[in-house]
Amino acid sequence: MTDVLLLISRSLRNTLRVPTALLTNVAISVFFLFVFNSGLSSVANLPGFKGSYLAFIIPVAIVSASVGGAGNAGQLLIRDIESGYFTKLLLTRSSRLALVWGPMIAGAVVLVGQVILILALGLALGLKSAAGVGGLFVVLFFAFMWGMAFAGYAVFVALKTKNAAAAEAATFAFFPLIFLSTTFVPKEYIGATWLKWAATVNPTTYIFDAMRSVLIDGWVAKQLLIGAGVVLGFATLTGMLALWQARRATQLG
Amino acid sequence: MDVDRSIWAQGLTRDFADLKAVDGVDLSIESGRIFGFLGPNGSGKTTMVRMLTTILKPSAGSARVAGFDVSKNQGEVRERVGVALQEVGLDGLMTAREMLVLQARLFRADGDQARATAERLLTTVGLDDVDLKKRVGEYSGGMKRRLDLALALVHEPLVLFLDEPTTGLDPVSRGSIWDEVRRLNSEKGMTIFLTTQYLEEADKLADEVAIIDRGRIVAQGAPRALKKAIGNEVVTLSFASDEVATRAAFALEQLCPDRRPAGRDLLCYFATAAGRLPELIRVLDEAGVGLEGLTISEPTLDDVFLQATGHRMSPREQDASAGEQQGGTVEQQGGQVS
Repeated sequence: MTDVLLLISRSLRNTLRVPTALLTNVAISVFFLFVFNSGLSSVANLPGFKGSYLAFIIPVAIVSASVGGAGNAGQLLIRDIESGYFTKLLLTRSSRLALVWGPMIAGAVVLVGQVILILALGLALGLKSAAGVGGLFVVLFFAFMWGMAFAGYAVFVALKTKNAAAAEAATFAFFPLIFLSTTFVPKEYIGATWLKWAATVNPTTYIFDAMRSVLIDGWVAKQLLIGAGVVLGFATLTGMLALWQARRATQLG
Repeated sequence: MDVDRSIWAQGLTRDFADLKAVDGVDLSIESGRIFGFLGPNGSGKTTMVRMLTTILKPSAGSARVAGFDVSKNQGEVRERVGVALQEVGLDGLMTAREMLVLQARLFRADGDQARATAERLLTTVGLDDVDLKKRVGEYSGGMKRRLDLALALVHEPLVLFLDEPTTGLDPVSRGSIWDEVRRLNSEKGMTIFLTTQYLEEADKLADEVAIIDRGRIVAQGAPRALKKAIGNEVVTLSFASDEVATRAAFALEQLCPDRRPAGRDLLCYFATAAGRLPELIRVLDEAGVGLEGLTISEPTLDDVFLQATGHRMSPREQDASAGEQQGGTVEQQGGQVS
């Protein structure tokens, strides 16, 4: 456990020493928030639409932040592999699990920091949480777990490709997951059958639903449990893939 | 009971697709020795180090380091070995102290112990006067090498692997690394496995050397014994071209039975050379072979390499070695060699 904490601390420190990527990422999320909220807010006037459009769209800004925030974990690892420092870490007594979890958790922590900024901005713009302050913590929990899931994917790709450009390109695989979903309107307003089907099978939909439920409806156990199940399942899957790849990569040299 | 600091390998092999990077190497290195592993680029030195330090899995054969099997007891081996690879593995965003403290903590030192170890090692490798806030990315090549060595020492290993530790360094930095290697060996009793492409380095530092070429060990023993085995003196005859050197080799078949062509040079090995020189010159003159230069010297490890393989180390190594002998720096002559 100490190893994990040491490696999280190191990853966080390194991330803060190159703040440009973080700031760019936050700026993109804030841009999404402003553009979508001001450009599409009339969607909230449609019959049957519940709550404010701001509460509806803010999970999109949060999930998009995860692409850069938690994806940074993969970039940190690539940097270590390319510099040879990862080999140095492999030669210590640290477990492979700690080497993988360190950057993953650090990536998720960075994401939570970004989400706090986005939520603060949302509150300043008039965001209300139907579930109160507790609801905001639930949003942070989902952001953290989504960050872990995405960081696991980023670490897996980094270890698999050992190439910065390939790892960066692979992060774009998450864009279809974000945009083939209930990104801008609730599912019942989606006209195209294929998009409705894509939104149903897309796990991101259930993460959006869980975040939106606490902001718009209050405490809705069903949506929270489904969302938690999906995000935990995703985080476990990508985390195991990352660990498997770490063991494989270090065995084969 | 003595602590086991030995290195042992039998039939150690590593394949990369069609290439046999290391081909059935046997080694037996006693505790507390400085062992030089000498060979040209691509001969298998780094692959050997990677297998002995658990970074790379052998394709065949077995090896034990400090008493533990490198394939079956990787954790135990890692606790007992320090490794400074040819390409320094450093994090350019961290400071030297941060890296040393983290490394020590990952070897189970507590915070106070880790900080004390970091201070001691910074002094040991001469980095204690560097600005505390200076990040490693801003260090010179020599400073990075010294920090890399310090990182390999944080857990006081029994066996230290140094993979071309002085490649790319200026003569002063190289000298300080040599001093440190000798000190670690004499004061701590560390077994040191040192790969190098520099003949002089192996000659000066190692108690015993193995020469590797194309994945196979072609000669092994104490440097002095290896050199003595090929003769006490070597006469190097230089000619205008390879072709003339070949003609000279035929002409000197009787007079110099132990000889090796090396490009435009022909090397003749004798117990004592001085008395043979007039006759050498006469035979060449009678054969109509023009001699351009002649030197007498004691055999070097390069002569041992030539004797064992039939070729010299590659021209680039010769250049590097020549630069070294002339006091020039390798950095000036082409930078780091992999």
